[in-house]
Amino acid sequence: MNAGDFSTILPLLLVTGWACVLLLVDLFIPRGRKAITAALSALGLLTAIALLLSQFGLEREAFKGMIVVDGFASFLQMVFLLSGLFGIALAYDYVRRQNIERGEYYTLLLFTVAGMMLMAQAGDLIVVFLALEMLSLPLYVLTGIARPRPDSEEAAMKYFLLGAFASGFVIYGVALIYGATASTRLSEIVAVVQAGQAIGGLLLAGMAFILVGLGFKVAAVPFHMWTPDVYQGAPTSVTAFMSVGAKAAGFAALLRVFLVAFPDVAPAWAVVAMWVSAFTMAWGNVAAIAQTNIKRMLAYSSIAHAGYILMALPAAADPAVASDAVGAVLFYLLAYAFTNFGAWAVVLALEKKDGQGLAIEDYAGLGARRPALALAMALFMLSLTGVPPTVGFVAKFYLFRTVLQADLVWLALVGVVTSLISAYYYMRVVVVMYMRQGEPEVRSEGWLNATVLLAGLATFIFGLLPAPLMGLAARAGLLTFLR
Amino acid sequence: MTLVQILFLLFGLVTLLASLMVVTSPKLVHAAFWLILALAGVAALFILLEATFLAVVQVVVYIGAIAILIIFAVMLTRRVMHDTGPQVNRSWWVALLVSLVLFGGLVLMLAQVPALAGTPAPLMVDQETLLEDLGRALVDADRYVLPFELASVLLMASMIGAIFVARPPSGSEERSGER
Amino acid sequence: MDFNFQDPFTSIGELLRGLLLGWGLAPGLVSLILMLLGALVLAGFAMTLAGVFLTWLDRKLAARIQDRLGPNRVGPFGIFQPIADAIKLITKEDIIPEGAERAIFKLAPMLAVMSAVGIWAVVPFAPRLIGTDLNVGVLYIVAVGAIGTLSIMMGGMASNNKYAMLGAFRTVAQMVAYEIPMVIALLVPTMLAGTMGVGGIVEAQRGGWFIVLAPVATLLFFVSAMAEAGRAPFDLLEAESEIVAGYNVEYSGMKFGMFYVAEFLHGVTIAALTATLFLGGWLGPGAQQFPLLGLVYFAIKTAFVYLVISLIRFSMPRIRIDHLLAFNWKLLTPLALAAVIVTAIADKLAPALGWNRAVVHLTANILLAWATFEALRAYARGIRQRVEVQPAAVETGGAD
Repeated sequence: MNAGDFSTILPLLLVTGWACVLLLVDLFIPRGRKAITAALSALGLLTAIALLLSQFGLEREAFKGMIVVDGFASFLQMVFLLSGLFGIALAYDYVRRQNIERGEYYTLLLFTVAGMMLMAQAGDLIVVFLALEMLSLPLYVLTGIARPRPDSEEAAMKYFLLGAFASGFVIYGVALIYGATASTRLSEIVAVVQAGQAIGGLLLAGMAFILVGLGFKVAAVPFHMWTPDVYQGAPTSVTAFMSVGAKAAGFAALLRVFLVAFPDVAPAWAVVAMWVSAFTMAWGNVAAIAQTNIKRMLAYSSIAHAGYILMALPAAADPAVASDAVGAVLFYLLAYAFTNFGAWAVVLALEKKDGQGLAIEDYAGLGARRPALALAMALFMLSLTGVPPTVGFVAKFYLFRTVLQADLVWLALVGVVTSLISAYYYMRVVVVMYMRQGEPEVRSEGWLNATVLLAGLATFIFGLLPAPLMGLAARAGLLTFLR
Repeated sequence: MTLVQILFLLFGLVTLLASLMVVTSPKLVHAAFWLILALAGVAALFILLEATFLAVVQVVVYIGAIAILIIFAVMLTRRVMHDTGPQVNRSWWVALLVSLVLFGGLVLMLAQVPALAGTPAPLMVDQETLLEDLGRALVDADRYVLPFELASVLLMASMIGAIFVARPPSGSEERSGER
Repeated sequence: MDFNFQDPFTSIGELLRGLLLGWGLAPGLVSLILMLLGALVLAGFAMTLAGVFLTWLDRKLAARIQDRLGPNRVGPFGIFQPIADAIKLITKEDIIPEGAERAIFKLAPMLAVMSAVGIWAVVPFAPRLIGTDLNVGVLYIVAVGAIGTLSIMMGGMASNNKYAMLGAFRTVAQMVAYEIPMVIALLVPTMLAGTMGVGGIVEAQRGGWFIVLAPVATLLFFVSAMAEAGRAPFDLLEAESEIVAGYNVEYSGMKFGMFYVAEFLHGVTIAALTATLFLGGWLGPGAQQFPLLGLVYFAIKTAFVYLVISLIRFSMPRIRIDHLLAFNWKLLTPLALAAVIVTAIADKLAPALGWNRAVVHLTANILLAWATFEALRAYARGIRQRVEVQPAAVETGGAD
């Protein structure tokens, strides 16, 4: 053991420790002034970002390979920390307005962020599982934080039961893989598999179980059933955070586990991942058309986007494209984070008490009433569709290119066709905003507006000038897997 | 077949049947009791693996604490106790069909993978120092201290969450008064 | 083979083994038969001893305390009274109430007895006279005790009776809660001995009984184990004046008898465990050479602890349920944690400073006890002040 090992998890330790301290501090903050807790949480996350920046580019293994620090991990951790900040900014006014302001909201959020950060660094299946639980359990509670509102309770219950089921799949898969290879360390598993000492059946079954469990976390078809209900029932600020953070963490685990531990069995999982990806894209986009509630629509949209990102997994099975594909995923996740947070912020601005103001019809007249907000929403919808000059287009372009490089032409075709389908329901929002008459009731809250502005600027600017971010993502993808 | 193999099959069957009963028995209390049998079966399997410690912990934690608390919670809700509703809904056969098709598809796809025949090196276990080794592994920075500590953080986070969910909404009277 | 009178148990075992092998049985089978035989003898021995002698002693003691005569008709001084009781119970009608869960109803008393007898498998009666010296013996004790909780739960649930259910509820709240300080207190002898095997813990007490090294833990274990067994003053699970008879109200005949025996054996088991873990078990002058002497020492210690339990039982009123739980969560559990920490520190400190181990431990324990008393006094003072300032508020709000 040495102190260097601990320095690799310093940002993670900071967030975890800060969450524990904040739990105690929160007891002394009087009810109704929980804004202090929010500010303190944000401060903790900012400090963690500073720490992370100070050790950007660090690349090593710690705790005998249980923790890995590389570009991939650092990039994703940055995404998670930013999601946490966005999550706090979105929640700040919303929870007060909805009468669900609690100090625990922010501490639980910090615990979730810690779990996600751990997921990015995991080099051992045990750590993967722990991270999965650490990010999921607080999320279950956050989903039900609007108790005793029945839809929130129902969503929490559903999410908890199905999530626990999915965790069961993951841990069972880990157990089987341990049975097959006598190790849970990713680097050791790959060595055992290469030496031909693994028990084939157990290994494959274990991989399948892990794919199912993580597929649930990223909401891939056919493990997506919970998504619309949970996204709709959860408080919107939680949904926004969940749709970005939890999904990115799920993909972090998928990529890390499958590309590091099982590259030699790639043919097995690539085929499965390919079909899952195709089904997810198709079903997510088709089902989204029928939605009249904006939260449900965005939920199906997030399922569809999980399908797009999942395309990278079969592409990465080709060693020549692997690092490109990972870079594409990283860029896509970041782009999706900006766009999605912006879109959810607009939804938050229009939401009224007791779940009113969430129908797409309620957006009628927004273009006349609040032109700036409507413009931003239109931008986010374009970006989610993948229309230039937005960051969504660049991300999709980059991703499809790697899929084509891996000779998966039909998969890329499915992606393009479903993107066209998706234009229908994204554009409907724009049409309703500008073409219909209406008097929408819109909130104007400082942090909400700031989030919309920031997300809008990022969506637009990185759509025009993607090179620096893309370079960063590509480097992060390179560093990880070409050791 | 040796005695150990016979016992393994016996306990394995008991565990599986009990688990099946957990999900199919219509009465919640019965399901809980079947769960206890299933957990006891797992404990017996641990003993067959010569993992006495795990077996005993299984009984202490799962049967002694968790299962009993489950029964406790079930018994507190007397209405649920006498709920004898159906265990399946009308479309169970659709679900079965889809699951079978998915399973078959997965098996087919996986079967095309070049066989990965192999036998892993057996784990070297010294019965005498097994328990001590386990204890040391949990506090050794080069082994499992990190997962161990993270698990404790995880448990704390979930405990806070559980308390938060279970606590009656404080100040709910004031808020209803405002309306 | 010559019979070794110094170590009769091993000799008898060898004799039987030789006999069975002589009949042409396989060695594995012979071991199994001997183990079963040993278990039978052990269970029978424990049953007879507890059932006959200690019940009688218990009732006599109760009678003396309550200023009456107690059993005095059957046999000399009424010593065969328990046997008469058993015959009465067996001949009684065995009723299963309407609407009961039959299978669970029947299973419950069996599990109850099983959990009480099962613990004896790891208790060393004398050197080399132990069922099996598990290396996780201490945890095994806790695990088997948990099955006792389960049996009460099953009995209360299956009876289809409100009072039985209430009794079971109280039991579970009490047992699950008191299991925690008990397990933590058990860590102290484990740490002192460096092993979880019960045989090893006895051996480790050659240098000094653990009641000297860890008096706080001894007391903690004793109290929480008493609560775990549902002995007065912790007998809320069958508070006659409140819930008729608790979880076993619907049981009759020998099923009731089995619950009764289980409860009784549980009390004896606690005595035996306290004697083993903290009072040196079979240790005593000459016990190493003459195992029979060890058995005698063990029996004397067990009986002594048992009589202390009885004495407490007959002289203390029953505790109220909220007091019971508050006592556990607010005093016993934190104190048990503190005792573990103090023991750990003292155990590392003693060799580092080169001082006598027992002295260091004893001093640490006395300091801990003193600190606890001071904290309790401050707490009591706080309550008293509140009562004096606004007596009405306390009356309505209830004391905590």
